[in-house]
Amino acid sequence: MMTAPQARPAVAPVTVTAPAPEPAPLLDVRGLTISYGNARGTLRAASDVGFAIRPGEVMGLVGESGSGKSTIAMAILDLLGGGGRVDSGEILFDGVDLRRLPAAERRALRGDRIAAVFQDPFTSLNPALTVGRQIAEPLIQHKSLSPRQAAARVLDLLAEVGIRDPRRVTAAYPHELSGGMQQRALIATALGCEPKLLILDEPTTALDVTVEARIIDLLAKLCDSHGLSALFVSHNLGIVNRICQTVTVLYGGLVVETGPTGRVLSRPAHPYSKGLVAALPRITAGRRHRLPSIPGTVAKLSGPPAACVFAPRCPFAEETCRSQPQAMLTDAAGDGVRCWKADALAGTPWPDEESAARKPAPQAPAQPTAPLVEVDHLRKVYGANRSILPWLRRAGTVAVEDVSFTVGRGEVVGVVGESGSGKSTIGRALLALTEPSAGTVLFDGTDLTRQVKQGDQDLRRRAQLVFQNSAASLNPRKTVGDAMDRPLVLAGRADAEERRKTVAGLLTRVGLPSAYADRYPHELSGGERQRVNIARALATDPDFVVCDEAVSALDVSVQANILNLLAELRDEMGLSYLFITHDIAVVSHIADRVLVVYGGTICEEGPTGRVLRPPYHPYTEALLSAVPRLAEDGQEAPRILLEDAAPTPGGQGCAFAARCPRKLGAICDEQAPPVHRADDGHRIACHIPLATLAERAAVFPELVGDAAH
Amino acid sequence: MLAYTLTRLVYLALVLAVMSVLIFLVTQAMPGDVASMIAGQFASKEVVDAIAVKLGLDQPLVVQYGQWAAGILRGDLGRSLVLEQPIAPILMEALARSLVLAVVALAVVAVVGIGLGVLAAVQRGKLTDQLVSGISYLGIAVPDFFWAIVLVLIFGSYMKLLPTGGYAPIADGFLPWASHLVLPVITLVLMLLARIARLTRSSMIDVLQTNYVKFARAKGMPESVVILRHALKNALLPTITVLAIDFGLILGGVVVIETIFSYPGMGRLLLFAIQRHDLPLIQATILVVSAAYCLANLTADLLYAYVNPKIRHGMKAA
Ligand code: SF4
Ligand code: SF4
Repeated sequence: MMTAPQARPAVAPVTVTAPAPEPAPLLDVRGLTISYGNARGTLRAASDVGFAIRPGEVMGLVGESGSGKSTIAMAILDLLGGGGRVDSGEILFDGVDLRRLPAAERRALRGDRIAAVFQDPFTSLNPALTVGRQIAEPLIQHKSLSPRQAAARVLDLLAEVGIRDPRRVTAAYPHELSGGMQQRALIATALGCEPKLLILDEPTTALDVTVEARIIDLLAKLCDSHGLSALFVSHNLGIVNRICQTVTVLYGGLVVETGPTGRVLSRPAHPYSKGLVAALPRITAGRRHRLPSIPGTVAKLSGPPAACVFAPRCPFAEETCRSQPQAMLTDAAGDGVRCWKADALAGTPWPDEESAARKPAPQAPAQPTAPLVEVDHLRKVYGANRSILPWLRRAGTVAVEDVSFTVGRGEVVGVVGESGSGKSTIGRALLALTEPSAGTVLFDGTDLTRQVKQGDQDLRRRAQLVFQNSAASLNPRKTVGDAMDRPLVLAGRADAEERRKTVAGLLTRVGLPSAYADRYPHELSGGERQRVNIARALATDPDFVVCDEAVSALDVSVQANILNLLAELRDEMGLSYLFITHDIAVVSHIADRVLVVYGGTICEEGPTGRVLRPPYHPYTEALLSAVPRLAEDGQEAPRILLEDAAPTPGGQGCAFAARCPRKLGAICDEQAPPVHRADDGHRIACHIPLATLAERAAVFPELVGDAAH
Repeated sequence: MLAYTLTRLVYLALVLAVMSVLIFLVTQAMPGDVASMIAGQFASKEVVDAIAVKLGLDQPLVVQYGQWAAGILRGDLGRSLVLEQPIAPILMEALARSLVLAVVALAVVAVVGIGLGVLAAVQRGKLTDQLVSGISYLGIAVPDFFWAIVLVLIFGSYMKLLPTGGYAPIADGFLPWASHLVLPVITLVLMLLARIARLTRSSMIDVLQTNYVKFARAKGMPESVVILRHALKNALLPTITVLAIDFGLILGGVVVIETIFSYPGMGRLLLFAIQRHDLPLIQATILVVSAAYCLANLTADLLYAYVNPKIRHGMKAA
């Protein structure tokens, strides 16, 4: 029986002392099997899943998308929709099997004893109701408060989750609040009835890193002060490391490893966990270090597994793995791992792909050649309106304010910023997809806007875009081949047979079988679709590719894969990229130079190593400190928590002034910061003198050593 | 919101001004000459000319239009040539009767259509849903006058329960008044119900899959609250727009329905005016119908903005 945990020889000799009296778990999930059925068959989203959360404990449930982690959270809440059903198993909450309770009683528990916070705060709030009313609802429903009592309690709750003007927020509609405030409001809702268990389903995934850092901090504090237990569903190991005491790793709907967070993340036992940890981009790692990735895609089961689910992707797989389903092995400390080789592999890291096969990365080309792209005093204002009707006239919103930079040939320039930083607008302006309100963009020496207006198709060919959402950018009714054929036709390639060959060649180049040309987008995984998008962008043989959050929607393992691919293509074809992202770790992996943008202006610019290791500008510093890291990456740097405030682009002073923890005073509000320059192209825009900034930079000890990189 | 309303009113005025010109030109281009119509078949040329002068028909078109438009702005819709009475009172009476028909029909469509749509969405895939969908298809597939005829045959001619046509003023008592409304209203309702029900169903299904509905459930709200408070309010946004467009359709459909049920409203008045070539009456009727249509649309947009806080606040900020 694979359900019975088998005794597992301890890795290290465990001194068996009298076991401390374990408190009974608050949530005890046993043998949970969930399947989704439709006309085409059934899909097992969870197979025989078991884990326990003790009172006051936060457990992370991690895995790639499709691993079944959200499904399990929803099953606990009895909110499985879309044909999902629990086939077997027990969900013991406080000793009571929830599955045996009638639906009405389970509903009564929800929002009262068991509360939830979901991924996207904006869509989780009802746009038609005031925030206050939505927070008050469960109080009125479960605690029978009068609307008036509830309103008073709502104010307290909002204050508790760190909202400074609760009165305004209660009366506001969701769209009037920032993402961080919305998520705080949702957390306040969840806390209202003083639940015992929180189900947190990717609660910060949709937020900016600096906001995420604060929300995680808040959640950790609240769990602590209220003695809350929580199930924390996440794909982000860094965050799990920050908030969870224990972690359960899921793969293909099966638990493959459980244990204390520190141990699992620093010494993962299961090969899949090893892969996940290895694939994580790290700021501490130097640029051009090839990221280990996990090949292949997540397993999808339709029945009980007949072999190790991870075998098709496991570098350590043997014949036994492919013929026998793996059972959960538990060691003396209670840690479990679903791999018979786990002990033998202890200490063996995830293989560093083809460290030998890879040729040394060419040095970034020497600067003297004229840059490929030159952006000069770019400014973009949206929504300006010069109507004849006076009450319609609008000044518009400034998206980008006076931005200048260059992209050299064969160079990768990273643009890092949060939402509202104007980073996407910059990318669009560089592809002439939006017309600058002022300033110029020179592409290979010619004015982009003017050229495109004059119908210069060659520029369109030479500069391409790869988007974030790989699914939406492909037409679902066209095969991959047809989608890639189109740019070729537009480029004037007449011979159909020759085009077919080109498409096959491009697919091979991005690491896909050429037979994929006949597939439809929905038959591909997210990573494969992103490869197709890259292949399509390459079809016209461009010099310059703008990658707008091109890897953000992908799982870490796949993300590593795509990052490696992009780096390879750059080395082989001499491409230049503008790599736009919110993820500073990703940028540190791929970019030669970085621009840190905030509120439409460049805060800091320079060679990646100089900008990030260590950071100088207060915003770069805050961004870096907000990135959750794994323990093995050195001790946590002092965390800098920023206020939730929107940037104020287009003002007179520093755009970051409203949130800057090191703001000097009125001068920051009133005068545009001066730009400190170093000869290696490092520019820092801040009123703080360079010497002071440099002093502070020493606070990131583990990053400093890398500066010479 | 105020700025938005103002803007829309300005546009409304512009649209109506343009329409008045079009109406005027089109009716002028209609075959037949007003003066000779009035004078009769055998009148001499002098008599016809005299009438033309009296009516101002000898003036250039621009002047004629100017006089007509100026009159309307003063609230004077002119005189009917055939009825030889001021148009305004006749028109207002007919308009009131048509509006009663339209408003009652719209109210019934809204209540029943939204109700059926919500029911079908909540019971999605079950028997109720299939029943509603089936009936909807039937309602859309069959032309509306067919219903009118069937209804007249069943309730009027065969069962003799309801009057098959005509009108009784409310002064004659509520029941006779209402009984004359039943068949025309039902016909109008059948014409529009299916669309509203289907639209509500589909937007309700969309809304029921949103995160905020999921979150409302996660808060442990009872299903009735989830559906009525959280889902319906958002699902109604598209329905409201369509209802307003439907109001225009009803005003148009009223012409047909009024003819079938010999109900003395705007439709019949317009028909009468066209048959008799009563130019001023035609112009005034069409203008009033157009204005009513535009106002219905404006109301819908304002209502939409009002129930949608995102738009409402956008306006405030502007
Ligand atoms: S059982 Fe084999 S295939 Fe599965 S994870 Fe362990 S080593 Fe890899
Ligand atoms: S200029 Fe002032 S507000 Fe801006 S980053 Fe520097 S210290 Fe902070």
